Amino acid sequence: MQYLDTGKYHVLFTLLLVFFILFNIRRAKGKKDMFVRRIPGLNAIDDAIGRATEMGRPVLMVPGIGELNAISVQALNIFAQVTKTAAQFGTPIRLCCANAAVFAVAQETIRDVYQAQGQIERYDVDSVRFISERQFAFAAGVSGMIHREQCAATFFLGEFFAESLIFAETANAVGAIQIAGSTQTVQTPFFIAACDYVLIGDEFYAASAFLTREPVLVGSLIGQDWAKFVVVFMIFCGFITNSMERHQVTDMKRVDNDATADVEAFSEMVPVEPWANGKPVLKRRADTWLFRQFNPFITKEQVTVDRPLEPEPEPTTATGGGS
Amino acid sequence: MKFLTQLAQLPPEYNPFWAKEPGNDALLWIFLTIGVGIVGMLLLTRVPTRARRPIVWTFTFLSGAFYVIYYLWPMPIDRDAREIPQGFVEQGGFFMKDALPRVADIANVLTFLLLCLGIFSLTKIHSARVVKKQKDWFFSVVLLVAMVVMVIVGYWDYILKEFNDPNALLTKAENWGTVNYAYDLLFDGLIQQMDAAMFSMIAFFILSAAFRAFRIRSVEATVMMASAILLMISLMGAVDYQWSELIKGWTGDDPAHMLNNLNLSQISGWVKNYLQIPSIRALEFGVGLGALAMGLRIWLGLERGGVSV
Repeated sequence: MQYLDTGKYHVLFTLLLVFFILFNIRRAKGKKDMFVRRIPGLNAIDDAIGRATEMGRPVLMVPGIGELNAISVQALNIFAQVTKTAAQFGTPIRLCCANAAVFAVAQETIRDVYQAQGQIERYDVDSVRFISERQFAFAAGVSGMIHREQCAATFFLGEFFAESLIFAETANAVGAIQIAGSTQTVQTPFFIAACDYVLIGDEFYAASAFLTREPVLVGSLIGQDWAKFVVVFMIFCGFITNSMERHQVTDMKRVDNDATADVEAFSEMVPVEPWANGKPVLKRRADTWLFRQFNPFITKEQVTVDRPLEPEPEPTTATGGGS
Repeated sequence: MKFLTQLAQLPPEYNPFWAKEPGNDALLWIFLTIGVGIVGMLLLTRVPTRARRPIVWTFTFLSGAFYVIYYLWPMPIDRDAREIPQGFVEQGGFFMKDALPRVADIANVLTFLLLCLGIFSLTKIHSARVVKKQKDWFFSVVLLVAMVVMVIVGYWDYILKEFNDPNALLTKAENWGTVNYAYDLLFDGLIQQMDAAMFSMIAFFILSAAFRAFRIRSVEATVMMASAILLMISLMGAVDYQWSELIKGWTGDDPAHMLNNLNLSQISGWVKNYLQIPSIRALEFGVGLGALAMGLRIWLGLERGGVSV
């Protein structure tokens, strides 16, 4: 039996962030008209839908190829706002899903939006479609739909991977106005290169607060900003302490052994010659105070715990037999 | 608490709460579970609309609470199945560790049910297109036939390999039958190749997107183009070598000379390490915080956005 203590600060830090978010949600509940800075990609939603309405072509929405998680739910939240406007103008929509769970939630969400707008007769069950769970089969299916239906506006928001550029370039080929945003930082440059408007980083999560101005969502956004200040403060502390400590000469250095199948990772301090080869041996990153706070020292004794075992169970049947 | 203690003291493979031993009443439990599931689903369809939200929230909260507690509670790692936990903390840890695969099983069952829903939707849309002879209806026929054939051949191949091949003869191609060859043709011969074809198209899309993005229309586009050209040139060995030779001529091969900073590899390294990576990390901090806030709102039922319009 072994335990690996990865430090208490991770949990403490997470709880602090949770406190900031919940405290600000509570604080914001009574307030109205709180300020959220302008996000160009979200301002363009109405223009995009208006264009699709004028051209009589559909609006395409893709919530990425990820599973049903916070990212896809956030994408569906934004799509619900898009659908709300589309329902008012009677603009046809297409929502393509690569995940069956996302598809089920998307179908319910879009139907609820039409119902809430009093336009349930305009709701087309087939407007929300499950295409395929295979990445490139999905890419081929959506690209084909963009070409066939000549979509006038496309929204690619969620978890995208290699297929992001296929979507964006296909939509560009049919002259669609494109609004995109991905939580995958590697894909964001592709969207920036190919799309008209891009939600970068946490703008994706700020979108529903911006669109609805719900106090809960705006409060949560303020909580995130507080958390960012803490992160900046910690980076500053790390910068100061590291700069000071890593110029100090040391005679002991920390060694973290790699975890193997049999032995857990443990740390030990080994002596070093402080002036090896006539040069000072300076503290490394792993020897600094801040590093130790987040990576506590783990000894062999700490990770090995002996405890009694249950007796081996009696074999129930004797099958087969040797020669 | 006594119940938890008793359960936690049982090693996972003998723990009757999470795993039934084969050979006893396991089949009865399977049918009982399926029956309870069907009754549960039927009851859920009868629930009034206003009660839907609290029910969904209750399930969401319980599922989320499991993972939150799992994250915060000290967990055993590399544990021997027969070890007996000591004290309440370890009992809880053992219990949750054993429960995790079962919770994941519930998620898998739900995913299967939802996948059936997705396949039903796909079949409905394309069947209607074929019946009404809409534009390009022939492609819908291809899709439906491909789907049915792949499911049949895939499962047939799986059953042959998993249950009818105790000596693992089918791991070698010379022992394959028609079904195994058909599966290989459909999966490795067609699907994988078509995936590769779609993936290779990205190269052309990158070219056309880069052409549009790098046109000098604004200050930002100019900066982007300049840094991209710099990075590309730094990766060209011949150019990098010639440039570094030129620098050597200026510095007299003095490694401490300030002009060494003008080496292409130094400049591109500086751009990557001091401009690109910090920017990406800053974005990832923001995305992480956003995901945390979103997850909290969903877990605690505070989300009042589109999903719950």
